[in-house]
Amino acid sequence: MRLRRSRGILAVAAAVALLAAACGGEEQPRQEGQDGDLSGGALRIQMESFVFECNFDPTCEFVSYALMMQTNSFLRPLMNYRHVADDPGLEILPDLAADMPEISEDGLTYTFTLKDGVMFGPPVNREITSQDVAYAFQRMASQQQGNPYTYYYEGVVEGFELQKSPAEDIEISGIETPDDKTISITLANAVPDILFRLAMPATAPIPQEVASCFPQSGEYGRFVISSGAYMFEGSEDLDISSCESMEPIAGYEPDRTLNLVRNPNYDPATDNPEMRSNNPDRFELSVNTNVDDIFNKIVAGEADSSPDDPPAKFLRQFADDRERLPINPVDVLWYIGMNLTQAPFDDIHVRKAVNLAIDKDGLLRAAGGSLVGGVATHILPPTMGGPEAEDYDPYATSGFAGDADLAKEEMAQSAYDTDGDGICDAPECSGILHISRNEAPWTEFNPIIEDNLEAIGIELETREIEGGVAYELVSTTSENVPIASHAGWGKDWPDASTFFEALFTSGAIQAGAGVNNNVGLVGITSEINEERELGIEGNLGDIPSVDVHIEECIAMELGQARIDCFNEVDRTLMEEVVPYVPYRWDLESHLISENIAKWEFDQNAGEMSFAHIAVAS
Amino acid sequence: MTQYIIRRLMWVVLVLLMITLIAYVIFFVMPPVDPARAFAGKRPTPELIETLRHQFGLDQPFYVQYGRFVQRLFLGDEYGWPGFGFSYATRSPVREELFQRAVITIQLGAGAAVVWLLVGIPIGIVSGIKRGTLVDRAAMGFALFGVSAPVFWLGLMFLFIFWQKLGIAAGTGYVALSENPVEWFGHMIMPWIVLALLFAAFYARMVRGSLIETMGQDYIRTARAKGLSERRVVVKHGLRASLTPIVTLFGIDFGTLLGGAIITETVFNMPGLGTYVVQSVFRGDLPATMGVVVLGALAVTVMSLVVDIVYAYLDPRVRYT
Amino acid sequence: MTQIAADPIAPEPHAPDFDAVPGAQVKGRSPWQLFWSRFRKDRVALVGLAFLALLVLIALTAPLIADLVGHDPNDRFQREMTDEFGLPKGPNGEFWFGADQVGRDVFVRVAYGARTSLMVALFATGVALGIGTVLGMVAGYRGGWVDTAVSRTVDIILSMPVLLFAIGIVAACSTTAEGCLGGLVKPGLPLVVFVISVFSWPYVARIVRGQTLSIREKEFIEASRSMGAGGGRIMFREVLPNLMAPIIVYGTLLIPTNVLFEASLSFLGLGVPQQIPSWGRMIADGGALFDVAWWLMLFPGLFLLATTLAFNLVGDGLRDALDPRTQA
Repeated sequence: MRLRRSRGILAVAAAVALLAAACGGEEQPRQEGQDGDLSGGALRIQMESFVFECNFDPTCEFVSYALMMQTNSFLRPLMNYRHVADDPGLEILPDLAADMPEISEDGLTYTFTLKDGVMFGPPVNREITSQDVAYAFQRMASQQQGNPYTYYYEGVVEGFELQKSPAEDIEISGIETPDDKTISITLANAVPDILFRLAMPATAPIPQEVASCFPQSGEYGRFVISSGAYMFEGSEDLDISSCESMEPIAGYEPDRTLNLVRNPNYDPATDNPEMRSNNPDRFELSVNTNVDDIFNKIVAGEADSSPDDPPAKFLRQFADDRERLPINPVDVLWYIGMNLTQAPFDDIHVRKAVNLAIDKDGLLRAAGGSLVGGVATHILPPTMGGPEAEDYDPYATSGFAGDADLAKEEMAQSAYDTDGDGICDAPECSGILHISRNEAPWTEFNPIIEDNLEAIGIELETREIEGGVAYELVSTTSENVPIASHAGWGKDWPDASTFFEALFTSGAIQAGAGVNNNVGLVGITSEINEERELGIEGNLGDIPSVDVHIEECIAMELGQARIDCFNEVDRTLMEEVVPYVPYRWDLESHLISENIAKWEFDQNAGEMSFAHIAVAS
Repeated sequence: MTQYIIRRLMWVVLVLLMITLIAYVIFFVMPPVDPARAFAGKRPTPELIETLRHQFGLDQPFYVQYGRFVQRLFLGDEYGWPGFGFSYATRSPVREELFQRAVITIQLGAGAAVVWLLVGIPIGIVSGIKRGTLVDRAAMGFALFGVSAPVFWLGLMFLFIFWQKLGIAAGTGYVALSENPVEWFGHMIMPWIVLALLFAAFYARMVRGSLIETMGQDYIRTARAKGLSERRVVVKHGLRASLTPIVTLFGIDFGTLLGGAIITETVFNMPGLGTYVVQSVFRGDLPATMGVVVLGALAVTVMSLVVDIVYAYLDPRVRYT
Repeated sequence: MTQIAADPIAPEPHAPDFDAVPGAQVKGRSPWQLFWSRFRKDRVALVGLAFLALLVLIALTAPLIADLVGHDPNDRFQREMTDEFGLPKGPNGEFWFGADQVGRDVFVRVAYGARTSLMVALFATGVALGIGTVLGMVAGYRGGWVDTAVSRTVDIILSMPVLLFAIGIVAACSTTAEGCLGGLVKPGLPLVVFVISVFSWPYVARIVRGQTLSIREKEFIEASRSMGAGGGRIMFREVLPNLMAPIIVYGTLLIPTNVLFEASLSFLGLGVPQQIPSWGRMIADGGALFDVAWWLMLFPGLFLLATTLAFNLVGDGLRDALDPRTQA
């Protein structure tokens, strides 16, 4: 009896809930803006987690979505990009700077004049000065702020040295601010891509009166003062009269919600419309741990977009609809890395055999098919290497499916195959530790990779672990991990050096837990191993190096010659060093709701462009 | 009586310390990876990692870290009392997040508890009284199903059937009660039912079994022989005795739920303690993990304590054990 | 994972009794014969038993099944059974239960999954029963500090958020190849069994202790003691046989809980590695694709449900059959 009655109540409640849910979201009043009728509305974004590695604090944050938000809508560094797709989106332009810099005769000093009328948002409410830009650099140099990009400035900007002191006490000799509107940066060496380094959001102006209250890395993240077109909702309520009086701004609740509203102090006349359209009135980000649910909501129109990858079934549903599912190439490579010091990967024939054995098409299918990427045939993504490099495939197999026979032919030339039948029989080929991730699509990759390598006699012992943990393990030289497939790499700015320097120079190999990105240990010698106390145990003899070649390319002026130079390095790596099996160049597919009136993609950040997107209402 | 309570309170504190110590060992000592690295970025320098280790307090020996943890917990830290430190991931106090999420988990647990008590116990009683009849068989069949079905499978099936196909239930997620009571209810009802189903089934079986055993006792026969109506016999004598074990069990079950119904919260995407802790463990956010462990252990031990005190109040013999 | 009752209904302990039914002319039947004749009458329990027998058969003959069908559990038929988006195709003439995201035969994997579920559950439960019985018996019989120590440990473990600690231990021990405890607990199957046993034995111990406490006061124990039998002897000769019934019942009811525990761990991504098919893992993998690939979740889910149901039915039947009072 009781049961039936309860059911009655439930039915009524369910019906009411249904009605309420059906009556959808809020209506936003339209506003006149730069793009006429594209202006106004709220962009609702859901993501599995904010993943902010440093709580949105610009000095130490490095997650690409956060960087996109900061460069597009929140902050204005000296230089910036147009935040559009393809090549136009990779060109560098002045943002806070009024114009391109004046360069001294010796090419070492860059002098910028700041624009007039660019102001910090509430509650700071004052004009931005060159000292604010200098302060941003001081913060980067302060070790406790935890900036992950100091190596881009150390040894580059004169006098920039990582120190233990707080930012306020640091002086950088190479940065001078003769007056409020002028800043000159002197380099220790001529660096052709310096302008890119000055577009990183960490270099955007920071008000010392607020940030000096937050000496620990990440703390400033809940108090970030806007220098751009949008700010945290509720910024005006921040009480900056003293450090103790400051309460975190309501608009940003870590791991829950982040709301951006227009910065009242922003003057569009000081900005370049090619760089920013500033259409929506609000950006509402929220966390939804159920990825399926996020995309169901986008399909239903209850959310507008997500930085997360749409699961394969959504790709299938919208496979032909380029309006609801726009796809953009990003400059990201996913690869299987082999450690050149660990048997059996210390033999180049084995490494080549592995390249021939892997079913790259199978891996692509498992990841979601041609909508999520293209098979990678070498290291540098074609968007960065240019069209000349596109057809280069040194380990071509029919349909990219891998070829066990070709692989065996290569393996037969290795000393680890004692009887020359193409199948490795040496004891070093069994029980090899293989690090991978414990989530899709890696869980689908692993059976494929294991099978492929078994055909040439290599038996893997796969460990599926969490992404961050995988990075840490494999990036620790003393762990001596022989092979790992968890990793991808993306550019820091539109230049190939951001790929090759960190991944393949011996200088990048450091001791310490999780520090080394050159997991192949290209260029390692036993002297370096001892000197830097790397703890490597393995075969350190005769490891090939591309240090000299990469250095040459880095010194070249920006332009086609530089790109050609790096393409050469790519070839050398693929044919003579073979540290990787590259398997996918990413495409970003975004599922967007019908609410989005205009789609735009920020090629530099590799994410949707907040600066130009528009919402209908 | 007071002595009993004091003794039990001391025991609660001891249990909490033991559990936190074990948790500390599992989460801080055993993992071979350095939590600081996970937050140090794409290309960390050794200095950066050192800085973070120092900020996270990881450069101290284990017992110092644990000592500081206990001290912070009982005496409070710079963010308030009790002190749970700051989260590695968000660099904000764990306390805020913990309490916000605890509210949601409590709502989930309390609602489910109401449902399973209202459903499970009456079913068990009716089954027990009408033993062997069709009603009994049907009820026990349902109970058997409820006990055997995996919670995550059930939850996914419910979502698929009631939300995706039939559209009569709200999807996953949570809407605050203060924001929109109707939507709040709509989003809570399925997790409540799924969570309650398992317990309701279990309790129905327990109550039935307990009632049957009690009814087989001599004193029941005596009561019947004395001429009391069957209803009186059941309600006055049978129920009282058979329901007492349920009370203890409920205390433990509810307490455990308060620590986070991990699977239900994950399937239905509720931002409660369960999802928080899974997220934190996988991200290496140790202070957040420890915060949930403490709350969970506290919930169970306090509920057991409450139940025991109620017992001791009702049955003086218990106090002297 | 739900907590098990502190005290399931258990038969009244008694000394082994060979008396016939009073007044009968026929030879007396042993308690086990009595038990079996009662159990036989419980049709539902028999159905459960039959299913379990079938399950064991499937588990044992899984390789044969794979041979018959022609697909190994880890054979990938990616090009035949997944589309260009990596989404699997459903049941057809060759793949009776369809395929998973990398093109493996779900039917064969479900058969092999029976092995995993049974093995994990039986091993883990066995270990838990072993440890729990010994500790519970000793605690109940000896009393004193032994009892206090064991009881307190049981209390602490029972107060722990189980799944959370399980997650922590598995996460912590899975990162390196040697695992934890100096290589004793390797990642994968041994780790899962270890974690489940660690959290199961306290339930057993608590019940065994309770039973031991009441048995201890019985006269036949008194008699043994006065005859000079030592504690250990009494425990294993007199107490233990009387514990067998509740242990069996309890064990049978514990197994499905452990099956679900393993499935839950797999659901969260912490169970056995991929090459070892596990129903829990298959459900988890299929969970996100349920609306486009219903077979991924349905078949393993049904088998899981049926298995736990069968164990529960058998356990109930055992309990009813062993307890003379329920015949009232």
